[in-house]
Amino acid sequence: MTDVAEGSAAGVDQLRRAAHTRGHVPGEASMWFFVIGDLLIFGVYFVGYMYFRGQNHQLFLASQARLNVDIGAINTVVLLTSSLFVALGTAAARAGNMAAGLRGFWIALAFGAAFPLLKMVEWIPEISAGLTPGKNLFFMYYYVMTGMHLCHVALGLVIMCFVIRHLKTSTTPKISFVETGATYWHMVDVLWLVLFALLYLMR
Amino acid sequence: MSGSVAEAPKGPTAPANHATSWRTNRKLDQWIAFWSVPFFFNVFGLVFVPLSWMMPPRSPSSPTPHIVNFMHSHNLLIACLILTLAYGLAPVSNACYLIQVKRMSVSPAFRYSMMIGAITGAIVGMLFPMFCFGLGAFRPGYSAAVLTMLYDFGYLAFIGSLGCFCVMWMAFGLAIILDENNILPKWLGYYTIWQYVTELMAAPVWIAKSGPFAWNGLMTFWFAMALYVSWQFIVYVCIYKAIKNQPDGELDNAPPMPQPVALEVPSRTSA
Repeated sequence: MTDVAEGSAAGVDQLRRAAHTRGHVPGEASMWFFVIGDLLIFGVYFVGYMYFRGQNHQLFLASQARLNVDIGAINTVVLLTSSLFVALGTAAARAGNMAAGLRGFWIALAFGAAFPLLKMVEWIPEISAGLTPGKNLFFMYYYVMTGMHLCHVALGLVIMCFVIRHLKTSTTPKISFVETGATYWHMVDVLWLVLFALLYLMR
Repeated sequence: MSGSVAEAPKGPTAPANHATSWRTNRKLDQWIAFWSVPFFFNVFGLVFVPLSWMMPPRSPSSPTPHIVNFMHSHNLLIACLILTLAYGLAPVSNACYLIQVKRMSVSPAFRYSMMIGAITGAIVGMLFPMFCFGLGAFRPGYSAAVLTMLYDFGYLAFIGSLGCFCVMWMAFGLAIILDENNILPKWLGYYTIWQYVTELMAAPVWIAKSGPFAWNGLMTFWFAMALYVSWQFIVYVCIYKAIKNQPDGELDNAPPMPQPVALEVPSRTSA
């Protein structure tokens, strides 16, 4: 990842840092291609979920009531906080304050890493209580969609580690790379907000 | 499957002296591997859809008499025969991807993962279902229970095995993203990531017997297929461009250099 950013954004970066106040698309264009496409794919999942929810409204409502909304809410706060620190870290790095940028990403990484742990705390009692994907269609959707999201979180944590390594080791860090990582992490956050609303809250 | 790009081979770019025959084209090997892809997919499509109606997948909860009828169909036997003959094309088709991945500035581990992943995936996803669906027609005496098991085995091997391709395409996607030679466009790497992530969606077919997560379901089959087929077309066009743009000097099968010392070296005919 680092190498890619170094390759493609070599000369452009100085210009960008000077011009960041004028506004530009943050990060690399290919990441935006990924983000938009990923949102579209999840959009299809959401539409599918809504359709089948409409077909079995009672079943979905009854099953939904058995989810742990508390952990869901804590996870939402955890991700939002993590995203906030990513944004602060990126802003600091843009302003040239690499130490503050690094600190922001470390804190964001710590919050982000709490998400999968909380997910385990949520899933393990549910699975032991027999609420497995085979239980009914709601739980299948629940595990598949949150599982897919968890894969995205895991990838986001790896990307954040790369950003941290880059900020630590590079003497002239590429802001576009930091922004690319931040863009991805915000997407993970947005997806969770929709998932949380659809799976836990909607009545 | 690959209709639009699968038209008659328009003479692959000839080297400078255009009068020379296509046989001397130094990318001939790559073009043969390349055109084997539409051929392979067309055979695959014809066998699975209009010949045997194995695809679109029948329901996992079909009543037993329907399953028995289907499994006794003689077309399945013909389908298996054609697939056996076409199976060998799978490695040839994969060669055209691998040659391009070899040009990338990434570790060979990516290439090897793809190579072995493609073969293991093809064994489970193509050979296993073929044997399962062929057996029922081969000897009509099997009991309904045995035929139902073969039916399940066949479909689970075909659709439930999509995860086998996951790591292979993950290697392909990552290689594209990490490559500094820009052999294939970066966005294709991200597209590949969606493609392999949807293949993970095949896991629930081992649990659900009806609904959107069954092996004939909206999420596990139709959506994954829509993404896969469009991806296959696009990756194919990108590979076409990559082969076309590959400078002759980069080709692995460079002709023997004129030897400065007149040593009698037997000419190598095959690369």
